[in-house]
Amino acid sequence: MFQVRYKIPRLKTRISPLKVSLALLTLALACCLLVTACSKTGQPLELVSYTIADDTGDWGYPSPYTHYARGPGYIRMSFLFDTLVWKDASEFVPALAKEWEYISADNAYIFKLRGDVTWHDGVEFTAEDVVFTFNYTKEHPFQWVDSSIVESAEVLDKYTVKLYLSKPYAPFFQDVAGTQPIIPKHIWQDVEEPEKFIAKEAVIGTGPYKLADYSKEHGSYLYKAYSDYYLGKPAVDELKFVKISKEMIPAALKGGSMDAGDTPPEVISEMEEAGLTVITAPYAWNAKLTINHQKEPLSSKQFRQALAYAIDREALVQITQRGHAMAGSPGMIPPTSDWYNPDTPQYEYDPAKAQRVLEELGYGLENGYFTKDSTEFVLELVTTARFKEVGQFVKQQLEAAGIKIDFRTMEDKTVDAKVLAWQFDLAIYGHGGLHEPSILNKMITGEGFNSARYHADETLNELLENQLTEMDRGERVNIVRQIQEVYAEDLPSLTLYYPNWYWAHDGSVELFYTNDGIAFGIPIPLNKLAFMEYKAM
Amino acid sequence: MFSIRNLALYLIAMFIILALNFLLPRMMPGDPLMAIYGEEALVQMTPALKAELVERFALDQPWWQQFAAYLSTLFTGDLGYSYYHNAPALEVILGRLPWTLLLVGTTLIISTFGGIILGIESGWRRSSLQDKSLLTGLMVLGGFPDFFLGILLLIGFGVTWAIFPLSGAITPYSGFTGAALVLDVLHHLFLPVTALILCHVGVSYLLTRNTMVTVLKEPYMLTARAKGLSNLVMRYRHAGRNALLPVITRTGIQLGRMITGVLFVEIVFAYPGLGYLTYEALLTRDYPVLQGVLLIVAVFVLIANFLVDLSYSKIDPRIRYAH
Repeated sequence: MFQVRYKIPRLKTRISPLKVSLALLTLALACCLLVTACSKTGQPLELVSYTIADDTGDWGYPSPYTHYARGPGYIRMSFLFDTLVWKDASEFVPALAKEWEYISADNAYIFKLRGDVTWHDGVEFTAEDVVFTFNYTKEHPFQWVDSSIVESAEVLDKYTVKLYLSKPYAPFFQDVAGTQPIIPKHIWQDVEEPEKFIAKEAVIGTGPYKLADYSKEHGSYLYKAYSDYYLGKPAVDELKFVKISKEMIPAALKGGSMDAGDTPPEVISEMEEAGLTVITAPYAWNAKLTINHQKEPLSSKQFRQALAYAIDREALVQITQRGHAMAGSPGMIPPTSDWYNPDTPQYEYDPAKAQRVLEELGYGLENGYFTKDSTEFVLELVTTARFKEVGQFVKQQLEAAGIKIDFRTMEDKTVDAKVLAWQFDLAIYGHGGLHEPSILNKMITGEGFNSARYHADETLNELLENQLTEMDRGERVNIVRQIQEVYAEDLPSLTLYYPNWYWAHDGSVELFYTNDGIAFGIPIPLNKLAFMEYKAM
Repeated sequence: MFSIRNLALYLIAMFIILALNFLLPRMMPGDPLMAIYGEEALVQMTPALKAELVERFALDQPWWQQFAAYLSTLFTGDLGYSYYHNAPALEVILGRLPWTLLLVGTTLIISTFGGIILGIESGWRRSSLQDKSLLTGLMVLGGFPDFFLGILLLIGFGVTWAIFPLSGAITPYSGFTGAALVLDVLHHLFLPVTALILCHVGVSYLLTRNTMVTVLKEPYMLTARAKGLSNLVMRYRHAGRNALLPVITRTGIQLGRMITGVLFVEIVFAYPGLGYLTYEALLTRDYPVLQGVLLIVAVFVLIANFLVDLSYSKIDPRIRYAH
């Protein structure tokens, strides 16, 4: 009896948990491979769909008052809403207005509007909507348009509008007529808080596309073509804006899951080999060395000029931007622009000259660094992480010329706050808008942290004011050229370089960079007019 | 053990967190409204709106009244209005929360159980080749940052072999519903979760293995062998179960950290989640969203702690008698 007890039953089958886990994992992998096969979308082939890659994704609800205050936010809204005039690849073209006339006696524009435009909800578009829009912006300014430029708007008849300007304003078409989205009176007349208006009605415009879906967390937009668009139904039926990390955009474009996106310069040849079209942006953005001209020793013009002589901008482009940029012109306007003044002082790299200038100012070289009356001075250079390499390069160059630099990178908002409060010596910033010379006003005498905030030169101030009101183009070019010369003389900031920017696309839609940027100057090749034509690839 | 005393302790902890959430913006130098809404948002505000906010937050009243006002806005679910997103902060956070829970939850469950199983097997066969290679392998994997593994997986399986999608949590506007949608979500979830699991399984594994090593020396293991129990039963029901405590504790702690801690993986895979939202909110000084996320994380940490406490008595009955 007891002997039987010693025979202890053991498990017949030994299942190693390790093997079980491995088996489950393999099963899971198999399932996912199955899913790949099942995941191909069952979309009807007749639908023309175009996917645009973006690494930020969410740019806000695409209504004029709720999209985020950046270019891509405006672009997404521009597909749904139209302006009085628009731009194609090279010039201003009619949009909601088919003809216009400037009445210099009244300082007003008369716009004759199209008679065949309807809002997405079917209601007719008339001059009432235009007048309503400009009046509405008096109380609720649209973030990109200075509402003080249009003094008043008047309905002349059902399809004619007269806009009275408060003063002659040369960039009226770029800044106002080509930027201000026209909103429907019948929807917005009762809206008291436009920033909170995110109902379905808020995206009803006259534009070629209607909003079908917007997802904040996924950062995606779905637009469907508006068949009653006044230029005809867009050739692309569906537009999708999709979020993907920047590094993966080239792979997605090559793989075909996305059709267009921003491309880093390094992979351009790869993209072209894969059959994609690569387009180059005209120079409209610059990185600047912002100088605190309120503070000694930088308050001296010659000192600032010495800094310019000491920095080799060509080498900066080669080393920090790996050749994918153009060296900056001290007049801010890029050499490729129609407004460029070829006689702008360029401060060719000459560290010996920099040193001579400093010696003339009374500085003496001691132990390789300049001192004034034997007291050492150090200049603080702050940048955000984005300009780290540029900052390091500038530091190297200036120290080689004998100016001691304390370089630090800080978080964006901290740098902004410091610069705004004049608690800095040197900083590196970037901004765009270089198509339209009104940027010179914003960036020389303007109040933002991006601006040089330089008011000391009366001649410059006068020139800047005049260029905005000079309605004759030829005269205006002259004034702008003078501005560049004077500004480059005074040098409250030094433009370091203009980066090269590229977009790649599969060729089915002829994307183009709008001359002078979209609307007020957005350097992104997503002009809604491009989507009126489509070529199957 | 669920007791009034424990519950009271949790409520006190919650209250302290709320108090800190309330006090911190007000302790920062300058205007508390600026700390809540940020300097740029303030510039955009009209005087009428500012006056309304001052009234709502009771900023011109004694601090205990302000705290009461704060609690009452909290109970109505009002976490503030995000000026950057132009939406209530709660809405912005709730949009991302399910995806974060999916990502983090799946990772934690699989990496914890995977780590436990591997740890038990390894501990049982300690110093064998299997054990040593598993130990080395998992330690090496755990040494890589999660986003690095993510990038490798993405390049391999997403770009080179194109088996998995390159971005997002779902295929946008695919029109999937039901089972197809679930499969799509899993399809997109696979690579980020794998990257995270490979990174995190090592810790659970090590904890279990090391506890196993101590547990195996216990007298009751000898009794179990003497009773004639199979290796499998001994490993899991006897040794394994006693080795669970440290791992479960650690998982509870991990939950709170991981909610915002998977930020880099979210960036690599363009996965919607609270990590990236928090980073964005920090950059744009979106204080309502930041405070909202802090609150959510605190709530989750407390819930996780509570659940871990509850499970203690199930895992190790000896603990019941400690009180």
